[in-house]
Amino acid sequence: MTTETSTTDRTPEATSRPNGAAPVIGLAEVSKWYGNVVAVNDVSFDIGPGITGLLGPNGAGKSTLLHMMGGLLRASSGAVSILGEPAAGNPEVYRKLGIVLEREAVYGSLSGWDFVRMNAKLHGLADPDAATRRAIEQVDMGHAQDRLTGGYSKGMKQRIKIAAAIVHDPQVLILDEPFNGADPRQRLHMIDMLRAMARAGRTVVFSSHILEEMERLGDRVLVIVSGRLAASGDFRAIRRLMVDRPHTFLVDSTDNRRFAQALVGDAAVTGVELEGDRLMVRTNDYTRFTLEAPRIAQGAGITVRELAPSDESLESVFEYLVAGVRGGAGEAS
Amino acid sequence: MIPLIAGVTLRQVGRQRRMTMLILLGLVPVLISLLFRLTVEPIGNDYIQFSTGILATFVVPLVLPLTALLIGTSVLGQDIEEGTVAYLLAKPLARWKVIVAKVIAGWCLTYAVVLLSIVGSGGIVLFGEDAISMVPAFVIASAGGSLAYIVVFVALSLRFSRSLIIGLAYVFVWEALLAQFISGVRFLSVSAYTVGIADGLTDVEMEILDGTLAFAPAIILLVVLVAVGTWYSVRALTRYQIAERV
Repeated sequence: MTTETSTTDRTPEATSRPNGAAPVIGLAEVSKWYGNVVAVNDVSFDIGPGITGLLGPNGAGKSTLLHMMGGLLRASSGAVSILGEPAAGNPEVYRKLGIVLEREAVYGSLSGWDFVRMNAKLHGLADPDAATRRAIEQVDMGHAQDRLTGGYSKGMKQRIKIAAAIVHDPQVLILDEPFNGADPRQRLHMIDMLRAMARAGRTVVFSSHILEEMERLGDRVLVIVSGRLAASGDFRAIRRLMVDRPHTFLVDSTDNRRFAQALVGDAAVTGVELEGDRLMVRTNDYTRFTLEAPRIAQGAGITVRELAPSDESLESVFEYLVAGVRGGAGEAS
Repeated sequence: MIPLIAGVTLRQVGRQRRMTMLILLGLVPVLISLLFRLTVEPIGNDYIQFSTGILATFVVPLVLPLTALLIGTSVLGQDIEEGTVAYLLAKPLARWKVIVAKVIAGWCLTYAVVLLSIVGSGGIVLFGEDAISMVPAFVIASAGGSLAYIVVFVALSLRFSRSLIIGLAYVFVWEALLAQFISGVRFLSVSAYTVGIADGLTDVEMEILDGTLAFAPAIILLVVLVAVGTWYSVRALTRYQIAERV
């Protein structure tokens, strides 16, 4: 498996592929715009078997990309393929593809069983009852299969939607924010199920704006920011990329002025700022700074009351990645 | 596939509150007819005059299009609005089957309401009269009218997000208002086709219908409208894209 990590938006292979074989999902120079608004901007990547996560803030273009991968939305330019076939305008592709959209849409007047069975029949399956039973078991919804889906909780709707999407045992499964509304137990169950599909050689692509979900599930991660591919690689590489960016720490100690003087000499520290009682320290080496700062404090006889990164929100991480993309940044691994 | 999609649609739309309202609307001419029968002592061809008036100027131009509008814009429009259309589009399924299923479902529901109106009001007023033969004429004609309206409103729901408002404008401004002043409007009016077909199917002399479309052009225009409308809907659904929407 390739674990290449890059902050460029051009053709970082998200996975390896056999010699000359078409990727399971392939995007080549794909853009999507609505009038003057660019939702996806010149994105290229390939996805192979296993689990791939699309990580990015809300409005980054993840859903637009998934809709295009799922053939429900046409690219304004570029090509999207599923198993070597064009994704859009090609209903036959759904024999091998299942898709779960973010919207909470179910036929509320149907029971869970009838809803999944309807999907099985629309796929033209030979034994829709057996397929329905298997899919409902897979999402652990047997206990509620006879209730109307209109009365389901958000998490239950999500699971019955997944059952409907996997009823034909697709080779590729695309899920848009699948964990929204799921409680921790449901979330773990879903993760286990998707992992089992990946082990069976299936291709699972999901989107999320939550880093922890990527950590648990995303073997490979594509970071989407402002409609562009900001980075790709395995989760550890992506996290390293996020950690190794410049950080600002907010420090509170028994003597901030002396502590600031002591820190200035350290190679990991790129700047200090003392404003009244507030000490802000900038570093470009997160790991080294968090190891060295306590030692420096101890050496100077200073007690550190608080040392916390001030910009650890995912948004600030994405801001950094966006700056990298706009600056045409190179590698970061 | 077609019966499956049509069945789910019947269940989905048939359970809506608007169906109760439409059934009540369909019962209005029945109640008026009942009042007429119970309170008026008709002279001569008053039965025919009254029944023609109810069927040709109330049921066909009002009950039929309003029912078809509310049902036709929701058989597929509701799927689009709620996002369930994805379950139909993300299937290895020819788009024409979806459109045909939706039209059949909408047609069944609309026709059920209109049938109640026509048979109820016509039967009450003309029971025991020779002119009762005009009732089956309207029954047959309104089958064609229901189909044409449903096709138009399904197409409208695929083209416009505010299809209900546009449909209301079509029914009330175009068909009900302009048709009274501009005779050419009848060539582009489904209710005019319906009345023209009904008139052609019965020997009963319905004076009120003088000047309506003749039977043959009414049939031809209706068939053309159904064919073009269906073709347009299939094409629109084939090109339909589900945009990101949360």
